[in-house]
Amino acid sequence: MLETTNLRKTFKKQVAVDDVNLYLEKGEAVGLLGPNGAGKSTTISMMSSLIKPTMGDVTWHGKSIVEDPSVIRLHLGVVPQEIALYKELTAHENLKFFGKIYGLKGKKLENEIAHVLEMVGLTERKNDLVKNYSGGMQRRINIAVALLHEPEVIIMDEPTVGIDPQSRNYILEMVRRLNHEKGMTVLYTSHYMEEVERLCDRIYIMDNGRIIASGTKQELTSILSSEETILIELDRPYPELTLELEKIEEVLRVVETDKGMKLIVPKNSRLLGKVFRVADKHKAQMVSVNVQVPTLEDVFLHLTGRKLRD
Amino acid sequence: MRTIILLQLQRLRREPGLILSMFAMTFGFVFLIGGFGGGERIDVPIYFDASVNVEKQALLLDELNESDSFSFTETEPSTAKKQVALGDIPYAVKAMDSNYQMLIATDNLNQMLVDNYVHQIYANELRIQEVEAGVNDPDFRDKVDRYLANGPIALTSVTSEGGSGGFDLQKQSLFGMTLFFSIYTIIFSLGKLAEEKRTGTWNRVILSPVSKWQVYLGHLSYAFMIGFLQILVVFIFFNYVFNYDIGSNFPAVIVTVACFTFSIVALGMLMLGLVKSLEQLNALVPIVSVSMAMLGGAYWPMEAVSNQVILAISKLLPITYGMEALKDIAIYDQGILSLAEPLSIMILFGVLCMGIGINLIERKV
Ligand SMILES: Nc1ncnc2c1ncn2[C@@H]1O[C@H](COP(=O)(O)OP(=O)(O)OP(=O)(O)O)[C@@H](O)[C@H]1O
Ligand SMILES: [Mg+2]
Repeated sequence: MLETTNLRKTFKKQVAVDDVNLYLEKGEAVGLLGPNGAGKSTTISMMSSLIKPTMGDVTWHGKSIVEDPSVIRLHLGVVPQEIALYKELTAHENLKFFGKIYGLKGKKLENEIAHVLEMVGLTERKNDLVKNYSGGMQRRINIAVALLHEPEVIIMDEPTVGIDPQSRNYILEMVRRLNHEKGMTVLYTSHYMEEVERLCDRIYIMDNGRIIASGTKQELTSILSSEETILIELDRPYPELTLELEKIEEVLRVVETDKGMKLIVPKNSRLLGKVFRVADKHKAQMVSVNVQVPTLEDVFLHLTGRKLRD
Repeated sequence: MRTIILLQLQRLRREPGLILSMFAMTFGFVFLIGGFGGGERIDVPIYFDASVNVEKQALLLDELNESDSFSFTETEPSTAKKQVALGDIPYAVKAMDSNYQMLIATDNLNQMLVDNYVHQIYANELRIQEVEAGVNDPDFRDKVDRYLANGPIALTSVTSEGGSGGFDLQKQSLFGMTLFFSIYTIIFSLGKLAEEKRTGTWNRVILSPVSKWQVYLGHLSYAFMIGFLQILVVFIFFNYVFNYDIGSNFPAVIVTVACFTFSIVALGMLMLGLVKSLEQLNALVPIVSVSMAMLGGAYWPMEAVSNQVILAISKLLPITYGMEALKDIAIYDQGILSLAEPLSIMILFGVLCMGIGINLIERKV
């Protein structure tokens, strides 16, 4: 019901979004995954009619929202990446204002406010100033505002950035319930693989303004079905080791991680012996070695040669 | 639109510091410059050269003291010279038969005004003397005096153009400081728009079914309302509580203040369009308002300025016309019709800035 065709956005000379095609069907939870600067927020801004694409179109039930943004406004809720609230006002005052500009009033407005406050678990704190809230609580009100007018689709731009695991869990669970129990269509943007894996039916992976892969989690991991991952933990970084390991013929990719390195290799390639020998040659101290089935993170690594988060 | 105005008012109620401090500053500075109640005059010590006979001395002193703005008091030449030399008094006037000199200790705004005024009186006097010598009528002087006293209104205004009535310290400080500080209030109120763009609430509002021009209108009306009320409240206070005289034509004052406020709101929009961030705006506001106040006659009257460049620049600033119109109302009791020129220039200025400003803002995605 919400669809983009050949969407493109350039800022001055920089191409932020390039030829993006994606769609949402009713009731779906779709993930948009990509590292910083991939173009996720820009794509969302165009999909929500906030900015006009340089090229391409966005349609809502077949009608172009580039030509007429009003067709989507009442049906769409957007949770922006930043905390877009009036911090010197209370949560209740914020909700009241945003409800009013969506045309809600009187009893209906108060009911909706009570409802969303309940949903984000902040009913008791509704008369506190938003600036006195913790980061996690601000995030929850940020979401609540987008739910007030009971939209059919909700687009969330990294709604869990920079908050504690508990609030994060709360939010993820809430989104899951909205999707499963209320049948709300969700577009969830993140650079946390696990969140997207947990919530979403389908996933788009974005990098450098382009969609580089898409499909269900199974479809995406099957890109690497004939590969496996070797995770090596080292006592300290050995830069020469990376170069040396890349020289081994069967190794597809080598990436340095926080604690050591990660190799993507063909399944059953029995490379461990060679790896040990190279490490030995460089007097590298291995703390642990693990062979794993590839994750979505590895798919991203495989496709771009980079980690999802730097 | 109403919802947006109400929201901004609600936010103002939570954080009223800025607006209140602008009120306080206005009051403080008007008092500082204009003085408390009653007509405070500028004291000017004067002494006479031997070339002026006693009879003429008295006449001259009377004439000089006709203005409400200055109070000339005779002193001994030696004391005057000593006091100026020591810096005890900023200036003194030495009156001669057909000329005068100013003894100056430090450069001082009032000294310019005094100089201007005395110059005017002497010039008038000389002109009359010249004609007197030509007509050879012993009663001529009396006739002129009588004529000046009872003559047509047109002639009275000759003296007021640069002299007595043209300058009134109280009105100058009240109008000048009020307009000056209102610029801050108005543009900072408008700055809420830039702030909302940064925090992202602007986008949220734009994504709602409310149309964009309603959102703009909400912000513009809010800034207009706050500025307009600030100016009027200050005027009313000083007029009724502190006996400052803002004239009797209150509707004309209201219309003038409205035009001025509109022009500053528009100027604010232009500035919002030009700056890249809220910080830049905050840095730009004092620069713009102070230089406008200096060049446009809010700090000192334009009558005291002779620099052609400054005069030319002042013609481009709305505050010049705001001051002009308010003084015309308060001092010369002018009605709205005769203020058509300054008022329409302010509106034109506003429309231009608004057009360019909104365009620039919209272009910034
Ligand atoms: N208004 C703008 N003007 C110029 N460049 C922009 C603008 N907005 C985004 N960009 C650029 O476009 C690219 C994509 O940015 P975008 O914010 O869409 O990325 P993102 O995937 O949301 O990243 P993040 O995870 O950091 O939020 C970036 O390189 C960014 O610098
Ligand atoms: Mg983003």
